[in-house]
Amino acid sequence: MIKETSFAIEVAHLTVSYNAKPALLDVNVKIEADQLVGVIGPNGAGKSTFIKAILGFVKPDLGTVKIQGTHVKNAKGRVAYVPQRGAVDWDFPITVREVALMGRFQKIPWYTSPRKKDRDAAMEALDMVRMTDFAHRQIGELSGGQQQRVFMARALAQGSDILLLDEPFAGVDASTERAILEVLERAKRSGKTLVVVHHDLSTAAEYFDKLLLIKQRLYAYGEPYMVLNEDLLSQVYEGKLKIFKDVVKKEEN
Amino acid sequence: MLDLFYAPLTETYFQKALIGGSIIAMVAGVVGSLVVLRRMAFLGDALSHAMIAGVAGGYLFMKLAFGLEAHAPGMLLGSLIAAVTTVALISFVSRISRVKEDTAIGIMYTGIFALGVVAVSIFRHYIHIDLMHFIMGDILGVADIDLWVSAFVGAGVLSVLILFFRHFQLATFDPVMAASIGLPVVLLDYLLTTCVSLVVVSAVSMVGVILVVGLLITPAATAYLLCDRLDKMMALSALFGVTSVVGGLYLCVWLDSAGGGAIMLFCTLQFLVVLFVAPKYGLFFRWMRLRNLVPQQAVEDVLTTVLRNKKPASVDIIRKYAVQGKNLVKVLKRMTQDGLLTQQNQDYALTDKGYKEAHTVLRAHRLWESYLESIGTPETEVHSIAHRLEHLDQAQTSAYLDKKLGSPKTGPHGKEIPAKIP
Ligand SMILES: Nc1ncnc2c1ncn2[C@@H]1O[C@H](COP(=O)(O)OP(=O)(O)O)[C@@H](O)[C@H]1O
Ligand SMILES: [Mg+2]
Repeated sequence: MIKETSFAIEVAHLTVSYNAKPALLDVNVKIEADQLVGVIGPNGAGKSTFIKAILGFVKPDLGTVKIQGTHVKNAKGRVAYVPQRGAVDWDFPITVREVALMGRFQKIPWYTSPRKKDRDAAMEALDMVRMTDFAHRQIGELSGGQQQRVFMARALAQGSDILLLDEPFAGVDASTERAILEVLERAKRSGKTLVVVHHDLSTAAEYFDKLLLIKQRLYAYGEPYMVLNEDLLSQVYEGKLKIFKDVVKKEEN
Repeated sequence: MLDLFYAPLTETYFQKALIGGSIIAMVAGVVGSLVVLRRMAFLGDALSHAMIAGVAGGYLFMKLAFGLEAHAPGMLLGSLIAAVTTVALISFVSRISRVKEDTAIGIMYTGIFALGVVAVSIFRHYIHIDLMHFIMGDILGVADIDLWVSAFVGAGVLSVLILFFRHFQLATFDPVMAASIGLPVVLLDYLLTTCVSLVVVSAVSMVGVILVVGLLITPAATAYLLCDRLDKMMALSALFGVTSVVGGLYLCVWLDSAGGGAIMLFCTLQFLVVLFVAPKYGLFFRWMRLRNLVPQQAVEDVLTTVLRNKKPASVDIIRKYAVQGKNLVKVLKRMTQDGLLTQQNQDYALTDKGYKEAHTVLRAHRLWESYLESIGTPETEVHSIAHRLEHLDQAQTSAYLDKKLGSPKTGPHGKEIPAKIP
């Protein structure tokens, strides 16, 4: 029997460690479908680990991750992902078109090569992020924003309902940030759930429907005005509170 | 002259060396591409060193158990077991202790190599393994059985890599995504390690323990400098492997040198040549590009000079205020090509695009001047410091300064700060 659930992602008691050091501790959260969710927290807080756990890449010590009500182990390919810039080998001999084509790999049986419809789908995804002109470039020859868009095209080509993005706005200029946000919002309107790791608190409230504040454990999940609360932020970003005072004030106005 | 090439081809030993070597080099090139991209080069070295223990073990076992002398499949299997054991030990040690992986690899392969050397010398009355042969290889003495082994290994490894090309590509490029769409990433790792072991084991009898890692990575690295696609890199790497063997063997016959050494020497020279002349990633073209590079600062200086001149500026004016020396001609030519300047009679005028950029730089300059004045920089230095700082990424700095200074309309001495062009 299939249990109907309105949650895109359900995380319960999630605990993940590297070499006996916990990166995530007892994280419980349910993320509703059709949301643009921002994940915030300081460096090393475990944001990337959280993303990797939802992808089923890291094995939790404890706890479960469910995707649309199904255990993550049985939900392979339902979640697409855009890696953190630093996690990609930009010298890898691969072209923009091939990266986009990777989004189709799970649909291609292992004994055949990609067919025309796969290649078309990849080009279509590149078109959605306006990168068709660069299809034959090696990925290292692009600007930061273009690189992000290529990986977004790959995620879109996967056709998953859930998209995870690890710091897509890092190292891009303001106008590119706008362009990327535009693509995210378009994806949301087409019924996708997006979970986006974000490092800039000053824009977090403006960009996202919900925020998730994390530092090893989950500090808050909810509407931006609830999460961007001086008390919580001071606990999470110890000592750097001053910088964030304006953020909180801005929120209150 | 032609005889120089033809004569060796009539010799059986040369033919066998050519065939066996080419097969192995080709497969090594293909596997090596993945080894290079995964930064596993050290592993190839570890595997080849571990082999001697496996060969000794296999020899001894087959002799004691079945009375077979120098049983090739037995030794091959022994080598594979030794290789896999080494890999397992390496990952075990680096996982459970604070010793990092490169150190663990170093410890394990020297340890197992030493074990093999000791075993071969202790049991020298039972097993007849020529250590020198093992270390240096003997490509000119390739036996028929070696040829068969390399043919089977080559065909097997190549089939696996071609069949699962996409899987290896994705698992190498982005293991997280590979896992998320359900590819068996760990299994693929083991499969690749097995392929590397097989290739290493069959290559050692030809080029020896020390050089085998070169055969694995040098052709691949050579191809890496020329390709922007993995499939092409693998094909080219296979080709470079084969040319190394062919070139090296002729070198060895002509110079009457050691076979393995000649092959690797040729292979390395090939790499160095490509390193210099490769069109995109080669040193020569890189140097050319750097030489032709027009410094952004010079471009911006020319732009603001023409803007301040308020009418098309002559070369002399530009020379006076912006760029001195023979660089100027190059800068002006490049800027005209890029559509920043147009030539009117003998003078240079800004295009729309050029005007916009000049405006942005001038705005940055004036904002910096105001800022420097506000923090109490001596008046005599304000202009020169601002002149340096105006070249920093203007989109970010101007926005910041503008906000910080409260969007001033005029700078020091009442100079107008041009508004931002939307
Ligand atoms: N592969 C790994 N091995 C060991 N420690 C890791 C690994 N990945 C992350 N960590 C550690 O886990 C913690 C959380 O890391 P991460 O999830 O990357 O944080 P964030 O993305 O929020 O910056 C950090 O302390 C980091 O050092
Ligand atoms: Mg991270």
